[in-house]
Amino acid sequence: MSDVSTIDRRAALDWASPQAKKRIRRRYAADRRLQAYGIIAIGLAVGLLGILVTSLVATGAPAFLQTKVNLEIYVDPSKVDPKDPAKGNFRAIVRDALFAQVPAPETDKQKTEVTKILTSDAAYIVRDYVLAHPETIGQRITIPIAVSDPFDQLYKGVIPREVEALNWTQERTFDRLQNRGVVVTHDGKAYLKLDAYIDPAKVESGDFTGIAHESLRAYLPDVSGTEMFGMLADDAPDAIKGRVETDPGVVGKTIQVELPVSEPYQTLAKGETPMVLNQRFSPEQIEAFDALVAKGLVSSPFNWELFLNADSRFPERAGLAGAITGSFYALLVCFLLSFPIGISAAVYLEEFAPKNRLTDLIEVNINNLAAVPSVVFGLLGLAVFLGFFGLPRSAPLVGGMVLSLMTLPTIIIATRAALKAVPPSIREAALGIGASKHQVILHHVLPLAMPGILTGTIIGMAQALGETAPLLLIGMNAFIPSVESMGVLEPATALPTQIFSWADSPERGFVSRTSAAILVLLGFLVMMNMAAVALRHMFERKW
Amino acid sequence: MEAKVEARPVVNVQAPVVREEQGAMAAEQHELKMTARDVNLWYGEKQALFDVSLDIFDRQVTALIGPSGCGKSTFIRCLNRMNDVIEGCRIKGDIRLDGENIYAADIDPVQLRARVGMVFQKPNPFPKSIYENVAYGPRIHGLAHSKSELDDIVVKSLMRAGLYEEVKDRLSESGTGLSGGQQQRLCIARAISVNPEVLLMDEPCSALDPIATARIESLMEELKETFCIVIVTHSMQQAARVSQRTAFFHLGKLVEVGDTTTMFTNPSDTRTQDYITGRFG
Ligand SMILES: Nc1ncnc2c1ncn2[C@@H]1O[C@H](COP(=O)(O)OP(=O)(O)OP(=O)(O)O)[C@@H](O)[C@H]1O
Ligand SMILES: [Mg+2]
Repeated sequence: MSDVSTIDRRAALDWASPQAKKRIRRRYAADRRLQAYGIIAIGLAVGLLGILVTSLVATGAPAFLQTKVNLEIYVDPSKVDPKDPAKGNFRAIVRDALFAQVPAPETDKQKTEVTKILTSDAAYIVRDYVLAHPETIGQRITIPIAVSDPFDQLYKGVIPREVEALNWTQERTFDRLQNRGVVVTHDGKAYLKLDAYIDPAKVESGDFTGIAHESLRAYLPDVSGTEMFGMLADDAPDAIKGRVETDPGVVGKTIQVELPVSEPYQTLAKGETPMVLNQRFSPEQIEAFDALVAKGLVSSPFNWELFLNADSRFPERAGLAGAITGSFYALLVCFLLSFPIGISAAVYLEEFAPKNRLTDLIEVNINNLAAVPSVVFGLLGLAVFLGFFGLPRSAPLVGGMVLSLMTLPTIIIATRAALKAVPPSIREAALGIGASKHQVILHHVLPLAMPGILTGTIIGMAQALGETAPLLLIGMNAFIPSVESMGVLEPATALPTQIFSWADSPERGFVSRTSAAILVLLGFLVMMNMAAVALRHMFERKW
Repeated sequence: MEAKVEARPVVNVQAPVVREEQGAMAAEQHELKMTARDVNLWYGEKQALFDVSLDIFDRQVTALIGPSGCGKSTFIRCLNRMNDVIEGCRIKGDIRLDGENIYAADIDPVQLRARVGMVFQKPNPFPKSIYENVAYGPRIHGLAHSKSELDDIVVKSLMRAGLYEEVKDRLSESGTGLSGGQQQRLCIARAISVNPEVLLMDEPCSALDPIATARIESLMEELKETFCIVIVTHSMQQAARVSQRTAFFHLGKLVEVGDTTTMFTNPSDTRTQDYITGRFG
């Protein structure tokens, strides 16, 4: 009997058979496939994250530096009354200081242009400095003054000094003419050799420009628009006019003319790329700025003002201090509301609530609450907190209240999970020695659940920190130019809403500042999540 | 000899009561400590105990034996109302401690559990220091009025649990860092720190090696001079070694109870005989 069954089993489990080997191979292949899928998935995730962070760093990095001019300023007592320094004519003082360093501009327009090198806030920077140091009146001081956005971008190499004068279509069009042999060169100057019909009517009205244009258009029948006429130099019509004047017989005939091409096309004909000065700068400005750079007055130190200044209309002066303060107040309110309420609710539901329809309903609704889109909470805040209770608009108090609506379910769910994870043996131990229910919970269960609760809370807070929509709805995207006036009940802005408003601004400087602000926000999020991980490690389960 | 000792206050025992040393132990000399009469218990719809009636005497060890799932733990947990916290658990019958119905409306289960302490199968020290583990009970029951009194209770309890010598240098270290046997003795120290009248032990040695088991058994030998001990065990030898009375449970019913020696030499019920000779269970 037993012999037979042993033999049977041997036959069934012949590990050396080809089928068995095939099975093993297939199992290994499946294992490897599964692993490969996992690695591909992780690679994709990490890769995308890498792309996101690199692009943010690439665009945001310049915002962490700010170009400044170390300007020597004479605080002229004739312009600043030592008795009432706030009323001084600081604009003139800054102007004089700047003009002392650069080639003197002539016209008033040029003077205005050159002063635009410095930030429009320059006078206020000097005023604030002098107000803080009244003893400097009548002395020479050197303070760094931020340059305006275009020059900041120029110095940091974000925007070029010169741009290509011609676009791709213009170059292609000229190429076509060159290929057809229309472009000829004498003495280093390029001409267009065109057949021109000398229209008597146009000669009559003196419209030689029209004749030149007509003849050029005949060569490029498929090109519409007037852009191509830019190819002709300003004196091209004069060449036709000269011909007509020297030989009136050509009127009404078609003749061959050589028309000079305009400046950028001259360069292009030489095989070089024509460049022009970036339209953001005037030649006087560039000359003055170059003079400042040549004197070694320009530098780009780390941009502490990004963290110390509040918002400003001028990107070179705009900072995140207001947004960080606003976010801090809102999160503080959010924490003070949602932490105690969330824990109390979770403890009640987990430890005390009888299991019945009502508590089931409450439980389901709390879980649903966690899935409600944040914009809905924003609308609720708008309708209830602002509309019904009449709380102040844009205030961190209301922002925090709305955010706490979102973090509450997160905290309740995390707390309940943490309470559930406390082993029953600890409860039994405490009960067995005669601890009452509240003693069991307060002395044993809650302390053991605390790391889980804190982790959940921090993650909830991190979510709240990045939440934009509800804050926009209650108007917490106010323009806050100074941190001093901020408070829980005062209008405020927050980090995500600040990012939102900066992203909406057209100035070049705000583009990099938006990325920088996102990096700062991400930095805070990473810090908060690391704190959560650290907490988890610190209170590693000890039972 | 007089079995009756001084009347105890319900909880606030000021200091461990040292009882008179007992002479030779004859069952009739032992005072009746707890009585269970016609105890029926249901977990939801399922009945786990059927008409259990059992007397438990002071200053001796009563062992509960029986096959797995027969209701030993359920019964022992009835004695300090630990079943109250189980959802859907209903109990009918009458359990008395010193003649007082512990399920009466005016009995506070929290106070009861201070009088009827419990040691569990798996050592479950609090994740706190050794000192805190033992000091917790006296502290919540207000047994110590000063730090030195509390220190005194902690040291005495650890000594009686036979753990003091091993841990006296590291009272502030975590109780969970001890070995399994030390942890279980810590749990015993914690249980006796509030000076209970009855000590319930549900398989206290099942997670321990023979040496640690021997230590705990000799500890029980000492403790029974002061306490009324009820122990659940799966080991016939252990029951025979440590207990004076043995109760055999089967399928939620108390089949037989009697002197341990009689139970193991001359059981009256065939099921008991089958069980202790190892034919089932
Ligand atoms: N919390 C509970 N809910 C429902 N049924 C339970 C519960 N606890 C125990 N039971 C049931 O009650 C019966 C008795 O269980 P109990 O734990 O008292 O057995 P036991 O004798 O201690 O067994 P073991 O020796 O294995 O510990 C078993 O059938 C068990 O399934
Ligand atoms: Mg059991």
